[in-house]
Amino acid sequence: MRPADWIVLIASLVSIVAYGLYRSRGSNTVDRYLLAGRSMPWYAMALSIMATQASAITFISTTGQSYVDGMRFVQAYFGLPLAMVVICATVVPVFHRTKVYTAYEYLEKRFDGKTRTLASVIFLCQRGLSAGLTIYAPAIVLSIILGWPERVTTLMMGATVVTYTVIGGIKAVTWSDVQQMCIIFLGLVIALVTVIVLLPSSVSFGDAVYLAGAAGRLNAVTTDFSWNDRFNIWSGLLGSTFLFLSYFGCDQSQVQRYLTGRSIAQSRLSLLFNAVAKIPMQFFILFIGAMVFVFYLFIQPPVLFQHAELSRIQGMSDFQPMQAQYNQAFEHRRQVALALAEAHHAGDSAAESRHVSEYRSAQKEIDDARERASRLVESTGGEKGFSDTNYIFLSFVTRYLPTGIVGLVIAVIFAATMSASSGEINSLATVTVVDLYKRYVRRGAEDHHYLMASRWATLFWGVYAVTFAGWGKKLGSLIVAVNVVGSLFYGSLLGCFVLAFAFPRVRGTATFIGMLAGEVVIFATFFYGNIGYLWFNVIGCVVVVATALLITAATSSTLTSSK
Amino acid sequence: MPDLREVPDEPPPFLGTWRRVYVGILIYLVVIITVFYLFTRAYR
Repeated sequence: MRPADWIVLIASLVSIVAYGLYRSRGSNTVDRYLLAGRSMPWYAMALSIMATQASAITFISTTGQSYVDGMRFVQAYFGLPLAMVVICATVVPVFHRTKVYTAYEYLEKRFDGKTRTLASVIFLCQRGLSAGLTIYAPAIVLSIILGWPERVTTLMMGATVVTYTVIGGIKAVTWSDVQQMCIIFLGLVIALVTVIVLLPSSVSFGDAVYLAGAAGRLNAVTTDFSWNDRFNIWSGLLGSTFLFLSYFGCDQSQVQRYLTGRSIAQSRLSLLFNAVAKIPMQFFILFIGAMVFVFYLFIQPPVLFQHAELSRIQGMSDFQPMQAQYNQAFEHRRQVALALAEAHHAGDSAAESRHVSEYRSAQKEIDDARERASRLVESTGGEKGFSDTNYIFLSFVTRYLPTGIVGLVIAVIFAATMSASSGEINSLATVTVVDLYKRYVRRGAEDHHYLMASRWATLFWGVYAVTFAGWGKKLGSLIVAVNVVGSLFYGSLLGCFVLAFAFPRVRGTATFIGMLAGEVVIFATFFYGNIGYLWFNVIGCVVVVATALLITAATSSTLTSSK
Repeated sequence: MPDLREVPDEPPPFLGTWRRVYVGILIYLVVIITVFYLFTRAYR
């Protein structure tokens, strides 16, 4: 980081906070603090929804994902438009008309208090787990890439988020999100343009796309079906539809964004904007990763991008022959890539076909060398299940991007972390106060009391997130697991809301038992089954609905026969 | 079912009805998947 990068980074962060606080003036009632007085325009909600969903690790990981595995991750978003249409048609008008503060408040109106409380507790467990990791995951990557202590990055991001979220409430969160999304869009466009400009002069943009495709990095749609394959068109269309239905229909961190809308139409437009914009945005981010892959066809990348681990294993006797083989494989791939691009230009299909198979086998040698280096890290005391996918993009940014742009991309990472984290903290505080404190601890107090309780709850969850992030290192490989654990809870929540909206005869007790049964089955599948995590959402939802319907049917027939 | 207070449901700013907007979104999804599929095949 050079002085110009620091100026860009600090200016971006200060402007985000200042603008958010400026727009949040007058948040002096509970309704204004938690729901912005239901006055937000659709575009602000739309960008806030997008920003809350896109954490920093999305940008760091997604680009690395397409570098190593291609663009098929985009399929995980195919269910989003379907889910948004269902939510706009069913959930949004009901939440608006019942004037609820939280999604779970509606469950008491529809079912009973225990169902509301169970759903609230499930949300607090699941979102509370991820709140610390939202800050920790990018902090550890930034620390390793930039050489800053983890504590510094965690505290920098945590303190900034807590300050504007506690003071300004949801208005500050939403308007900061808008600005953060603008910085994210700008940073991504500049990053892509810079990668393309940095390609060798003999390689055109068309050549770059062709070479990425020949290496299998442009596989945006894969039609082969497998239960344990995380990303294909089938899991994308079915599994992710359920995931997004749960996320946008039952997760308060998202529901709260569109409850701030000044009308049903404004809330719907904000969700439909995401239905249209999210898939191209993910495609764009993945495409950046594919172009970084092409860049490294001509400039030799390190065998591992996580330089702390690389330095550690470099002196070992097993490393030298591996490095020599890697150097040879890289040079071979570079020459074949140039020959392939030339054959493609000349329209020589026989040479093209020959070079493609040689190019892929050279790529496989490189992948093998990287795999062996990762295993060496593990076998010599490094992290179990070591993967350096998350380090690829930031390593590229800090090594090759020009001064100023580096600061902007780091600002993108900070902005994404802060937007995701502020949304989480704000929604955790809302559920704590509205669904638990106001219902069980202090009923019927004045508005000012609940406003102060909301501020304290926000501060509590902010401090909790930062503290939990501080323990992140001890959690080690649990980071990946906790992301998957989030989907262990969504299926049950979704099942509960499906019952609420689609089955008017089902009552609270049947739903409550159904949710418990759903959790039991999901956890059993997680521990004893072998299927991709997107399917947990489908299974959980189906079990909750089926159990509640069976109980309802059994209860009805018992009542009928007793009459 | 809970009481639903009266909140006016405004029409969308384009296409006239929400039903048409939803159909438009679904058509968009089909088009984007088709484009990605063709993209994948073109550069495979």
